[in-house]
Amino acid sequence: MTDATLHFVATLVLPIVAFLLLALVPPLRRRGRLAGVVSLGFSVIGLGTTWVGWLHSGLDYEPIRLLVSWLPSYRRPLASVGVLIDPASTTMLLLVALVSCLVQAYSLGYLREEPGPSLGRYYAYQSLFAFSMMGLVLAPNLLQLFICWELVGLCSYLLIGFWYQKPEAARAAVKAFWTTKAGDVGLLIGIVLLWRHAGTLELVDLRQMAESGALAPAGLALITFCIYLGAAGKSAQFPFHIWLPDAMEGPTPVSALIHAATMVTAGVYLLFRTEWLFALTPGVLSLVGWVGAGTALMAAVLACVQNDIKKVLAYSTVSQLGFMMTAIGAGFAGAGFFHLLTHGIFKALLFLGAGAVIHAVGTNDIFKMGGLARRMPQTATVFIIGTLSLAGIPAFAGFLSKDEILAAVWAGGLTAPFVMLVVAAFLTAFYMFRVVFLTFFGAPADHHGEAHAHDGPVIMSGPLWILAVLSMVIGVYFTLHHPAPEFAPAAHRGGLPETPGWLTPLAIIVASSGIVLSWLTYGRRAISADALAAAFGPIRHAALARFWIDDAIAGVYRGGLLSGSRVIGWVDRYIVDGLLNVISAWVVVAGDRLRLVQTGRVQDYMYSVALGLLALVIWMGWSR
Amino acid sequence: MTLSVAAFWCLAIVLVGSALAVVLTKNLFHSVLWLALALTGTAGLFLTLDAEFLAAVQLLLYAGGVITIVVFAIVVTERLVAERITQSSRRIGAGALLAATLLAALLRIITRASVTEVRPAMTDDTTFRMGETLLTRHAMSLELLAVLLLASLIGAIYFARPED
Amino acid sequence: MGLQGYLVLAAVVFCIGLFGVITRRNTVGILLGIELMLNAVNINLVAFSRFHGEIAGMVFTLFTISVTVAEVALGLALVILLFRTRRTILADHIDWLKG
Repeated sequence: MTDATLHFVATLVLPIVAFLLLALVPPLRRRGRLAGVVSLGFSVIGLGTTWVGWLHSGLDYEPIRLLVSWLPSYRRPLASVGVLIDPASTTMLLLVALVSCLVQAYSLGYLREEPGPSLGRYYAYQSLFAFSMMGLVLAPNLLQLFICWELVGLCSYLLIGFWYQKPEAARAAVKAFWTTKAGDVGLLIGIVLLWRHAGTLELVDLRQMAESGALAPAGLALITFCIYLGAAGKSAQFPFHIWLPDAMEGPTPVSALIHAATMVTAGVYLLFRTEWLFALTPGVLSLVGWVGAGTALMAAVLACVQNDIKKVLAYSTVSQLGFMMTAIGAGFAGAGFFHLLTHGIFKALLFLGAGAVIHAVGTNDIFKMGGLARRMPQTATVFIIGTLSLAGIPAFAGFLSKDEILAAVWAGGLTAPFVMLVVAAFLTAFYMFRVVFLTFFGAPADHHGEAHAHDGPVIMSGPLWILAVLSMVIGVYFTLHHPAPEFAPAAHRGGLPETPGWLTPLAIIVASSGIVLSWLTYGRRAISADALAAAFGPIRHAALARFWIDDAIAGVYRGGLLSGSRVIGWVDRYIVDGLLNVISAWVVVAGDRLRLVQTGRVQDYMYSVALGLLALVIWMGWSR
Repeated sequence: MTLSVAAFWCLAIVLVGSALAVVLTKNLFHSVLWLALALTGTAGLFLTLDAEFLAAVQLLLYAGGVITIVVFAIVVTERLVAERITQSSRRIGAGALLAATLLAALLRIITRASVTEVRPAMTDDTTFRMGETLLTRHAMSLELLAVLLLASLIGAIYFARPED
Repeated sequence: MGLQGYLVLAAVVFCIGLFGVITRRNTVGILLGIELMLNAVNINLVAFSRFHGEIAGMVFTLFTISVTVAEVALGLALVILLFRTRRTILADHIDWLKG
């Protein structure tokens, strides 16, 4: 397998070379399109090597580790970096490479009007992000994982705030950074505690220790909880989900890459990689499951009331991440990982399609669109393919993975989360088709925008078609061919869950009824949307206010932190400074008074000397 | 009352009286003269203590040299001012109180201390012993004293040189 | 007369000298007071030397007398210098090192 190993190493190295080229050679970077082509070239080569390597390796082999000692030490290195190649990491790597490459190609078209230096900056960030994400995926130990984790967060900040002159974009970037950072602190604490607990951060070694029972159970729950915090931050679980909708301020290709397929999935990936550790702490796992289900349902409700097409997709991502986390919480991380892969493909497809629509029409508001299917048939087709995948219709990619998740949650015994996920699935179908009907069908709301609508150039529609075809191929393949336990780690106790007979029909019925309701409301207009809204009045009102979560957190921050600072500021100014001022004033006054002793006259000094002598004599006399 | 005791008392009265006169006389020149008397009294006391050499040195240096110098200094400074400088001071009360208290404390210590009342017998006369010690054990100090006197001589000449 | 008598006498003269130093206005007068104090010290030294049989006390007295003479010489030189430059010999007027 050694030459396949080199393929994967090459995939990891190529993006960082591209980044360094673009970062260190300003003339290259300033010629925007050239920079884009260079970056894309490296990305394509990387995709090629990954593909070849993946084909070579197959899907069932023991993990291979390639380590480079980074901090050499006495007996063994304090820290090492490298790659860990096993079926899960190579598959994820393939997804990252594929979506990254397609997004970079798409961006050449989408950001056509961007000035040269700005575009060059964009591609530098894209290459850096690709490198960091791949480093995270291939990380052999938690140290490298954490480093790449932070790098990924940095790139997310840079890319969300790409148009930094826009204040909303800058604020969204900071919000994303801060929210994920809160989770990252938890992750760091968890890693440090784990190192103290186990003595090593190497994933392979830790796994052996966990499965052989060498890890003491005391304190393990805290460790897994802290690690989960990090994953919750990146994967937008409640209450960390607040950054993802705001992150839509970034360019749409960025949303497709980072907030659909790669960065947000890092949390799920982390939990998938350490599932043997979480298996030892069932309490934390059930927390993961419950929070995941709650997030899925909440985000689905929020998506129903959004007007901005990108925000709908953002909340949809949060919801689907919740699905994945629930599966992990039920103990079947393989199901969650499977959905991660399929979701990555069709969500990227949906985002890129939305980007094409936005690019053509000039607005994000779905109520200002309409009837675009006539003007943009290709875009409409691929978007509908993506939507069908997301809704979970058979023969499309998302069907089986969503089925597996529902099966997993049922088999894991989490009944209430199961119900929440079923409702969320219904809502998913509903709101996605709401978007479809309002955007592509019906009468155009804004004739002016609609008149200019047209399908994108090949460089934009190419990736769309690739993703759409992939979506269908995967869907058909897995409809006919139940996935083997290759998506579960080799010695996992559960494998993939057994699907009860009634589950698949239930899933199909739920999805279809969602589509039908949506068609009736927004397609046919048989049911009034307003009546529907009124029926769920209070929920809708709360949803429009985003359940006041943003406000609560802002209130806590402003109220708590700022008033705390005010108190501390007052203490600092009046008590600490006051004390010092008083002391210094006293010193000055005392000095002023004391200087009167220095009269300059010899006789006065003599007098003082004599006084001292008297005191001395008295003391000598009385101490006998 | 033996002769030595009587001598002591006489000399003590002379000494204390002239000392008081030194500090209380308004006329500075008179003060100097009273000081001369006090120094002579001290020389007498040295005699009662069998320190003849020191008595002679006291008379020579103190009553002779120091008084002369001070007289000259007074002449030089008072002459040009051409008036008698008053000697009253504003610190008399405090100074007297301080001196009295100090005296009281010292006397308390002295009277409580256990000191010998009897003089030991003299083996040699003190001059002989002094000379011997000066040139053997304290020879170095003697040399240093010479250096000190030289230094002060040079210093005095420098200070008092005429203005150029 | 016992040692205590000499010590008492010396103490009296010392305190008188101290009084003189503190109260006299004329600088030369201060020097006279210092003379008295030094004299008292000398009496002490000689008395102790005689009553303890140690000749070192008297030798030391010789030294103090010599040093005193040197000191008086220099002190008076300073007084004359002070008089020449500042035209005053009153201790109260010499306060240029006032804090």
